[in-house]
Amino acid sequence: MHKQVEAIIENIEKVMIGKREVAELSVVALLSGGHVLLEDVPGVGKTMMVKAMAKSVGAEFKRIQFTPDLLPSDVIGVSIYNPKTLQFEFRPGPIVGNIILADEINRTSPKTQSALLESMEEASVTIDGETLQIRRPFFVMATQNPIEYEGTYPLPEAQLDRFLLKIKMGYPSAQEEVEVLRRSSNSEPIVHLTPAISLDELLELQDEVRNVYIEDSVKSYIVQLARATRNISEVYLGVSPRASIALMKASQAYAKMQDRDFVKPDDVQYLAPFVFGHRIILKPEARYEGVTTDEIVSRIIQKSVIPIKRFAEQ
Amino acid sequence: MIKNSFSLIELLIYYIVIFFILREWLVPIMDLTKTGYMELILLFIALSLVISLFRIHFIASWLVKVAYILWFIVFIYDGVFVLSAEGIDFLFSDFQTNIEALMRADWPHITDPFRTFLFFILIWMLIYLIHHWIVVRMNIFYFLLLTVFFVGALDTFTEYDGSLAIVRIMLLGLIMTVSLLIKRLINNANIKMDLMKYLKLVVPVILLVVAVSSIAFFLPKSPPQWPDPVPFIKSAAGKGGSEVDEGGIKKVGYGDNDSRLGGSFVADDTVVFLAEASTKQYWRVETKDVYTSKGWEDAGYSQGELRAIAPGETIDYSLPRGPEEDTKTATIQVMDPYDFVIQPYGLKNVTSAMMSVHPNLEFMMSLDTEKIMSYVDRAPTALTGYTVEYSKPVFQYSALKDPTEEIDPMIGERYLQLPEALPDRVKDLATDIVEGRETPYDKARAIEMYFKQNGFRYDTDNIAIPSEEQDYVDQFLFETKIGYCDNFSTSMVVLLRSVGIPARWVKGFAGGDLVDNNGSMSTYQITNNDAHSWVEAYIPSVGWVNFEPTIGFNSSRSIDYDLETDAYQEDALTIEEETEPDEVVEEEPETQQTTPQENRLSKNISDFFEQNKFIFMLLLAAGIVCVFVLYKIRRKWLPKVYAALYRRKDFNESTFEAAFLQLLKLLELKGFKRKDGQTLQTFAKEMDAYFETGHMSRLTKFYEQSIYSKNASKADMSQMKESWEYLINQITS
Repeated sequence: MHKQVEAIIENIEKVMIGKREVAELSVVALLSGGHVLLEDVPGVGKTMMVKAMAKSVGAEFKRIQFTPDLLPSDVIGVSIYNPKTLQFEFRPGPIVGNIILADEINRTSPKTQSALLESMEEASVTIDGETLQIRRPFFVMATQNPIEYEGTYPLPEAQLDRFLLKIKMGYPSAQEEVEVLRRSSNSEPIVHLTPAISLDELLELQDEVRNVYIEDSVKSYIVQLARATRNISEVYLGVSPRASIALMKASQAYAKMQDRDFVKPDDVQYLAPFVFGHRIILKPEARYEGVTTDEIVSRIIQKSVIPIKRFAEQ
Repeated sequence: MIKNSFSLIELLIYYIVIFFILREWLVPIMDLTKTGYMELILLFIALSLVISLFRIHFIASWLVKVAYILWFIVFIYDGVFVLSAEGIDFLFSDFQTNIEALMRADWPHITDPFRTFLFFILIWMLIYLIHHWIVVRMNIFYFLLLTVFFVGALDTFTEYDGSLAIVRIMLLGLIMTVSLLIKRLINNANIKMDLMKYLKLVVPVILLVVAVSSIAFFLPKSPPQWPDPVPFIKSAAGKGGSEVDEGGIKKVGYGDNDSRLGGSFVADDTVVFLAEASTKQYWRVETKDVYTSKGWEDAGYSQGELRAIAPGETIDYSLPRGPEEDTKTATIQVMDPYDFVIQPYGLKNVTSAMMSVHPNLEFMMSLDTEKIMSYVDRAPTALTGYTVEYSKPVFQYSALKDPTEEIDPMIGERYLQLPEALPDRVKDLATDIVEGRETPYDKARAIEMYFKQNGFRYDTDNIAIPSEEQDYVDQFLFETKIGYCDNFSTSMVVLLRSVGIPARWVKGFAGGDLVDNNGSMSTYQITNNDAHSWVEAYIPSVGWVNFEPTIGFNSSRSIDYDLETDAYQEDALTIEEETEPDEVVEEEPETQQTTPQENRLSKNISDFFEQNKFIFMLLLAAGIVCVFVLYKIRRKWLPKVYAALYRRKDFNESTFEAAFLQLLKLLELKGFKRKDGQTLQTFAKEMDAYFETGHMSRLTKFYEQSIYSKNASKADMSQMKESWEYLINQITS
């Protein structure tokens, strides 16, 4: 594993117990410049995860707690009239930062949600015709409660597409939970966390990820998987080409994390459920029958044909 | 596991059932082959079953069985105890005779005791097989199927009546099959069964089988839907002749009953004669004189009188002969025994080598039909071979052209007969055909040639049978115009008689196929397909002359063109030299055109193949078996072959990819198939876990780098080679 990445993950693991995979996937998103949607019930450590991550890379951490009455301006900022200068002055909202935790994103109104998601996609905020570019790294980690919970506004499909990965936290095992208790009985471990790498190093890593080589045969494998989602009877809507791009970027990041300068089909297979999972929309009848998107993706992977020769030779 | 899966009681029940099923095999065999001592053979079956039931050591079991067989043979055939001096002597001499016969492949001389011995061995093997089927395979279905087919076949083709046997077999067999199925399922599912549970499964099954069988047994059944195949088969063997069955389809061949002609024929290649003669010719058997509108009968002018002809005695009969110096000999070998003699034209006498065996051999000629039959001790007896001497008549063209129309009233009365009901249009047609012809011969020629044109067609399929009011000839001439020799020949006789030319209908065989050529003599093979009928017309100046109206057949008259004139009117029609009769005219020119040498060579080759037919068939069968076996065990040898092929290549960066793919292929052959969706890495891990190494992962890592990465991979090739060879060795070992 890449040394710096290993350092970040080890850092996160100091506060998060038994969540190495979640940490790894979060780093994948961070390195490829995407955003993550964490879905799980409250209290399993979603916030802690994001905080730990922010601290590990020495980034500015901001948190937006979404409530039903939150307004778009509360997220992106407002222009305020300054009597001194006799001008409107832009006061950026909490979205303008490095690592943002958008907590319980599905509790707020669609209007506010879309304000957040637009700025996520463009990495900029626009108020009164004035555009403010958000500095890199810009990484949003949104959390949401499972949609079945009451008082939630499910995110529209187009918005979901903006998240690179959707990760589920899951409960810790009994042993891990005991460890959690043991650690929290002392002081909060997060307080003592120090950055594992600097922001500049992170930016450098992000550039390196973009240069990870991906052979055409592997690209066509990604396309093969994406196209397969569009031809399944249980699926109402398959994934978009944006999803194929997302899978490619994530695979590059994952390859980099393994300290490899090329992408293997293994990387693609591993990430496909996290990239495609939230982008596939099942037909209602399939949903009632208990089919999950993860099942669909694993079925597609099983049926896929791995390229085992160079692209030109196939 | 298998060993303990049957309790003794269970096996005992199965064996009792098997005993009864085997009895169903034995009963018809005993019945049909008139073999006795069924109880003793059944005892042997029971003994064998008991031995395999108790799993007696094979040496003991062999000893017991062999002892029983020897005792049986000596007791039955010699009537003495096996261990007596006489018995041992009998066994040894018999054994010796048969081994010698076996070595010579002289099957007819194998003695009955030895056949009995082989029969016992067969039963022995069968029981071993059944034992295997029950205890190991737990599936008796194929045996059951075989039994049903066996009894079914015997019931159909022999006098054995298996209608009850089939019921018994089905009943026992179904119960057995189902209980074995239950057994198999239990075994597969690894369920522990107590007796109660087992009975809960088995008893309903037995009740169901019994109920279904009894319903099936008592339900009314429709009569057979297909005609009985036996007459068919019999006539195929040439025994039944062309008997008309209800379906109207006959088997081609020589038959006696011609009273109802018509209907389709089925081809039959059974060889009836082999004739060794200098030329191909027609073989006459008999003639008939009365046309009944439906077929031919014998008027019985001589009240069925037979005239005895001693072997070698010159036969006195109605047909003319050629000059004495042209006498030729033909040797007939009878393949399918008929008791009549086939006669070439110009027959002089008949002799047979069988005279040494049958001193009382004589020939009898029916004065009515001129059929010659062989008799031994005054009883019709079929000969296996005989020799005929003949001199083919040569007709003088001048005599044929003689316009004399005077005929002997005796002949006129007998051979101008026509049925009352013959439609007038037949007679009118006959008159039309011969219009302008002066002499009887010319008239006959005109009628003969009439069939070659005018839209007639030769066919053996879908041939009409005249209805009650219809005339056979009328139907053919005016309505169908499709038929085979009987249609053509009968029609010609009727037309001839209509214009006052005495004529008769002749039956026999056409020339057959040339199968061997030995100098001046050729061997012709005559099959049932060659059964034929043609016409003899009485030309006053020369006597009986044969005519061939059937399309596709050529007449074999010999005519001496002795008239000094070139105004032969019918030259266009007559190609009447000694043409060999041939059914398929188109075939003949080809064989005639080939030069003798080519002929010889191709004949040699075909002879070689013909003689070694069985060897070739055996080789072919062995080849097929070999291929099948090799295919079945391909996992054992194919990897080795591939490994040997691949190993020779040098192993470096450029060949690495190919080598790796070959390795994958080898693994697949060995049964380790990578699924399409499985990545190389996960597959490598699986393989390494199986072979307990890390070689596959090492190779895979390098391979992945070489195919997925941009930069050419670098690795220690000698190490790769080592890993690769290690794996190849693992796979092929």
